[in-house]
Amino acid sequence: MDRDINNYSVAGRIGEGAHGLVFKARHLPTGREVALKKILIKNLDDGIPVSVMREIKALQLLKCKYVVKLYDMFPRGSSLVLVLEYMCSSLWEVLHQRPAELTAPRAKAYAGMLLKGTRYMHAHYVMHRDLKPANLLINYAGILKIADLGLARLYWPDGGRPYSHQVATRWYRAPELLYGARYYNEKVDMWAVGCIIAEMLTKQPLFPGESDIEQLAIVLRHLGTPTEETWPNHCELPDYHKITFPPSEATPWSELLPGVDTDAVNLIKSLIMYNTDKRISAKEALKHQWFTMRPLPAVLEDMPKPANTNKPAIINLPV
Amino acid sequence: MFATSTQRKCWTFGDESALSTLREKHNLNFISHHGAQVDDYQRYNYFLSPEEERLLLRQYELHLKDFCKRFSPPMPKCVIGTAFHYFKRFYLYNSTMDYHPKEILATCVYLSCKVEEFNVSIGQFVANIKGDREKASDIILNNELLLMQQLNYNLTIHNPFRPVEGFLIDIKTRCSLANPERLRTGIDEFLEKVFLTDACLLYAPSQIALAAVLHAASKEQENLDSYVTDTLFHDAGPDKLAILIEAVRKIRSLVKLVESPARERVRAVEKKLDKCRNQENNPDSEIYKKRVREALDEDDMPRTEPMRMSLDTSGVSQVLSPSAS
Repeated sequence: MDRDINNYSVAGRIGEGAHGLVFKARHLPTGREVALKKILIKNLDDGIPVSVMREIKALQLLKCKYVVKLYDMFPRGSSLVLVLEYMCSSLWEVLHQRPAELTAPRAKAYAGMLLKGTRYMHAHYVMHRDLKPANLLINYAGILKIADLGLARLYWPDGGRPYSHQVATRWYRAPELLYGARYYNEKVDMWAVGCIIAEMLTKQPLFPGESDIEQLAIVLRHLGTPTEETWPNHCELPDYHKITFPPSEATPWSELLPGVDTDAVNLIKSLIMYNTDKRISAKEALKHQWFTMRPLPAVLEDMPKPANTNKPAIINLPV
Repeated sequence: MFATSTQRKCWTFGDESALSTLREKHNLNFISHHGAQVDDYQRYNYFLSPEEERLLLRQYELHLKDFCKRFSPPMPKCVIGTAFHYFKRFYLYNSTMDYHPKEILATCVYLSCKVEEFNVSIGQFVANIKGDREKASDIILNNELLLMQQLNYNLTIHNPFRPVEGFLIDIKTRCSLANPERLRTGIDEFLEKVFLTDACLLYAPSQIALAAVLHAASKEQENLDSYVTDTLFHDAGPDKLAILIEAVRKIRSLVKLVESPARERVRAVEKKLDKCRNQENNPDSEIYKKRVREALDEDDMPRTEPMRMSLDTSGVSQVLSPSAS
């Protein structure tokens, strides 16, 4: 195997993650562009972080067009280097730097790719737990792929084990997590997918909370105070009694998603649901009629092709 | 899925001779690399023979089991199973003379805790080790990457514990056996012993699980043969059934042969090992300490292309949304 840094020509640094730096490089024997994610271990008390272990395990298991590939890994000094598929852009960049490119057919196409990746992960009992635009990377061809599986973990469908609730970036965090649920399932990802699709269509984050409390307040204000009917057993969540919010009626979806067509609203509504049993799966979402209604999802030829950046890298690799 | 796993592709071997060939090869490699000045007749007076290495490893597998069973907080079974897999895999491609089993043992268990999501800090972990804990934690952390590399980064292990649960559910629904839960004690005893054999390098986890279930049933004076032949393998055809029956028979006979190595023999081998082990990998040696220091210095990335991008982080776009932690 070519498991040595000498097989790579390192072009420069393109990002910084929780445990080290990310470099763009070329694998010399194949000419393939890659991202080298270097995990510094010497300063870590417990050795290789569990999050890195999770990412490795998840990426080794998942072989999907819509999930970033892990090609290889090797030690370098006292670091571990992961060799990942190189992705030149991200959905975060599209939303913040080139929003005009994000037309309705293209948003629909990205939504389809995101859902296919998510469906694949869930079929392999992996929940990502941190889906957000910055973790959805886009390659030269315009294909969107799920990345940064540092919070991803295997789950068992019977749900026998408690998980940490301190997962998922706040804006995309499902309400059961905000209330401190320790027993939850892959539907936390579906909430995030709903938020991301809404954000692509309105170019605004759906629920931009400034703090965890405010996050919950915003969600409750827009969806209305949960009832036993809209959210069975929510009163039993660990943090439910720690804070109360003024009772509120649900905001009409037309107000929450201005200018968004009815089919899209219907899809988002079935993802942004308190009740995780009713919140639809990725498999169900892909069958939603929004995908078959006009405008149809853009074909790959019509997707924006992010430029081969020679400029100082502004690349959201798994950070 | 075991069927598509690296466990099946890279770490399940055809027969026991394939395992001993690998082990002998790495024993010889070590000796030819380190024993140029020792003449052939003296060779095994100084170095460990493949048999001596096996004996030592069997003893350390017992240590591994005891360490895990006494571990506080109590360790889930899958952590123990995975640690055993790692330990056995490591010594298929390495000699005990290169890496002392006591050091690799602790590292295997530590890595297994992480991979199986049994979250303990290094401090908590070494609290279970007698002696110099700081030194123990240094050794474990220094070996962690080496171990991952020697495992070829194949970290996911398919243990027999989940297939056992599957069989028990299946027996409850499709078999007339009364109170299948009473099989558990026998199953657990069997699986504990199975990890002291090479079975997990030779057979699929479901085969090992079935061997455990059948063993437990026969201990309870029950017979599940018709469940296996008529229910489980009803549609599979006679070839597959024959393969399974042979596998179960072999696994059960491996377990029957488990015995503890004689204490005085182990002591003699350990003494020999102290002399012949590779000092470069002995944490007490000067040469080892120097190497660890050098690895720390080697942490920079070589730059082979002209620098186009600034090294500071200001060029890296910040993610505006709040982070997860």
